[in-house]
Amino acid sequence: MSPVRLRGTAIEKRYGRVAALRGIDFEIAPGEAVALLGANGAGKSSLLKILAGLSKPSQGQFGAFVDGGTSPLDRSSLRAAVGYVGHATLLYGELSARENLDFAARLYGQRANQERIDQVLEDFALADVADRRAGTFSRGMAQRLAIARAVIHRPGLLLLDEPFTGLDELSAERLSEQLGRLRGEERDAETNGGTPSLIVVTHDPRRATELADRAILLHHGIIRATPSKQHAEEFTADALRAMLGEFAREASHAA
Amino acid sequence: MNVAWALLWKDLATEWRSRDRIVAMTVFSFLIIVVFQFAWPNMEPEQIAQLAPGILWVTYVFAAVIGLGRTFSTELENDAMTALALAPGNRGWIFLGKATATWVLITAVQAMAGLVFALFFRVDLTIGLSGTAAIVVLANVAICSVGTLLSAMSVRSRFREVLLPVLLIPTLIPVLAAAVTGTTATVAGEALALTTLQPLIVIGGIYFILCFLLFDFVLDE
Amino acid sequence: MTTASSSDPPTPATSSSPIGGDRLGLTLKLLGWAVLGLLPLYAWTVSTAPIDSVQGMMQKILYVHPPLAYGAYLGFVATAIAGGLFLWQGREVHDQLAIAGAEVGTLFCTLMLITGPIWARGAWGPGNWWVWDARLTLTLLLWFVYLAYLLLRSFTEGDERAARFSSIYGILGVVLIPLNYWIIDLVGGAMHPNNLEFEEESSSLGMGMGLPFFVGNLTLFFVFIYLLVLRWRVGMLRTEAERAEFDARRN
Repeated sequence: MSPVRLRGTAIEKRYGRVAALRGIDFEIAPGEAVALLGANGAGKSSLLKILAGLSKPSQGQFGAFVDGGTSPLDRSSLRAAVGYVGHATLLYGELSARENLDFAARLYGQRANQERIDQVLEDFALADVADRRAGTFSRGMAQRLAIARAVIHRPGLLLLDEPFTGLDELSAERLSEQLGRLRGEERDAETNGGTPSLIVVTHDPRRATELADRAILLHHGIIRATPSKQHAEEFTADALRAMLGEFAREASHAA
Repeated sequence: MNVAWALLWKDLATEWRSRDRIVAMTVFSFLIIVVFQFAWPNMEPEQIAQLAPGILWVTYVFAAVIGLGRTFSTELENDAMTALALAPGNRGWIFLGKATATWVLITAVQAMAGLVFALFFRVDLTIGLSGTAAIVVLANVAICSVGTLLSAMSVRSRFREVLLPVLLIPTLIPVLAAAVTGTTATVAGEALALTTLQPLIVIGGIYFILCFLLFDFVLDE
Repeated sequence: MTTASSSDPPTPATSSSPIGGDRLGLTLKLLGWAVLGLLPLYAWTVSTAPIDSVQGMMQKILYVHPPLAYGAYLGFVATAIAGGLFLWQGREVHDQLAIAGAEVGTLFCTLMLITGPIWARGAWGPGNWWVWDARLTLTLLLWFVYLAYLLLRSFTEGDERAARFSSIYGILGVVLIPLNYWIIDLVGGAMHPNNLEFEEESSSLGMGMGLPFFVGNLTLFFVFIYLLVLRWRVGMLRTEAERAEFDARRN
């Protein structure tokens, strides 16, 4: 699927006394890789749910576009273009790896193509465990299958929600490599118009700089900073960490 | 539609491999039947005839509640519920797949429980079997429709074991009333008339359509 | 590096914005006067109504029990309609109305179930503290739906999700009202042959009973609307206050 462009204006997400997002603007170009950083409760999950087509903003304009179109995708079409990886694997333990991928493909309305599934299993080094029940997989294998699941329908937008949670250093490294490769590979795939856009939610500044070209720093539901690679000094892990620390200190002073 | 088949297959395949819902429902049904036996130990045949349809349906409804409580248990494991919420297209198809899978399971369990019931309560199975079966099959449509919707709503709650029965049972009262009345007639040997099935068809139809349409709102975040 | 400034808190999506005038508050005042006027009239007509020769004072519950039905049933209808609007538009004001309908409705429904046995004992004679009369049965079933609704709200995590789920259950529940009515009518005869019939109360009223009955209906109807709007307004004001406090703390 073609890479997705995302655009939000004055997005708010509030209900009752909780205001998760209090007015944010953003534009994510097709194929861009952006990291969403912020402390817990900053609004990252709420924003991600809107981007995934899982919820609607309470106020503001949000639109997802493909192929240079000017009319936004409806939520169902947006969901069709999204590949989501969370810290839970979204897998069914009783089904084999192959069956999990088959099921996912069919959920996305694609008649399961065995060749495609075999190829994906191959890519994620799961070919020899294809018919083993996913419930027996190690954490690393399960995570690989989870990503395979997310990309089986060739999404134009990859959404990663704290994918490194609970992974040891080695697995996290491998995951990071895999994700980098993924974006590179999709560029070459026949049915694709280009690299899928990527949004990764994380609280780890190092991973953010590895995976993304730009970061959006959220704090208490508003965007406080948007450092990017173009200004190299502010896009290092340390710089990001410092900024986040500053926001946290402000809050404790004000309280 | 494809999505519905996918879910139906997935649920039945999972159930076949783990058998946890079927076993839970079947054992529970048998236990209730035995409990009822001991509650009224020395019943005369006329008393049995009067009470039997009610006892049968109480057993069926409670077993169904047990089974429906676990409709989304495989989705809870690894947050596969989010995966369902992320699926494009009309979410009513997800509802259809899930509800049909539960319908298959519940009908199978009820068939087995019905046999045990007939055995213990000495009910003559040859009288009105097809009529009773038709009633069961129809009533299950209503039960599974509203049960699947409510199960999806209660599954995210800490109190899901309590919440589902509280939500579900009031909605099943009309089904119960219609089913018991119908079963009383068929077990007494009356021919199955459309008027007997009509309430169940109407309730089943209303519940199914309503829940199909409302399911979309359940999966949103 | 770009920094965004915090935005102003949005105007609350309620009908009581300071600029537009407090519509709910105004309605409440008018209703309040109506109720204040009707209540003494109600009390007077009931006390001066003829005392039944057979049942005595207890019969006067007739002027209280059936009129409570407005609150009990309209309450849930309000909840269901508000829930439907909420699902459609997502505005908090609708959800607040739904809560108001449920709480006030539960109150009236509970009162019906308390006065019910008193009425039943009077209408059906000694020993009949409960009868499977059509109206009582229907009200009991409705009471369970109310209870389920309130429990669903309490036990669902997340305010918006609670609002959404209860809207769904409200729609399901309101369909149950005619469904139960139909089923009771259809199969009730088979279940409880002696009692289940829907009778029109007013047709069996004797002399001098028409006025208190009419006034009773009118008064309790207005009391219901008054309490509904009151609860709705309280809910809206509280939401706005919480929101303002939250914004103030965050800024």
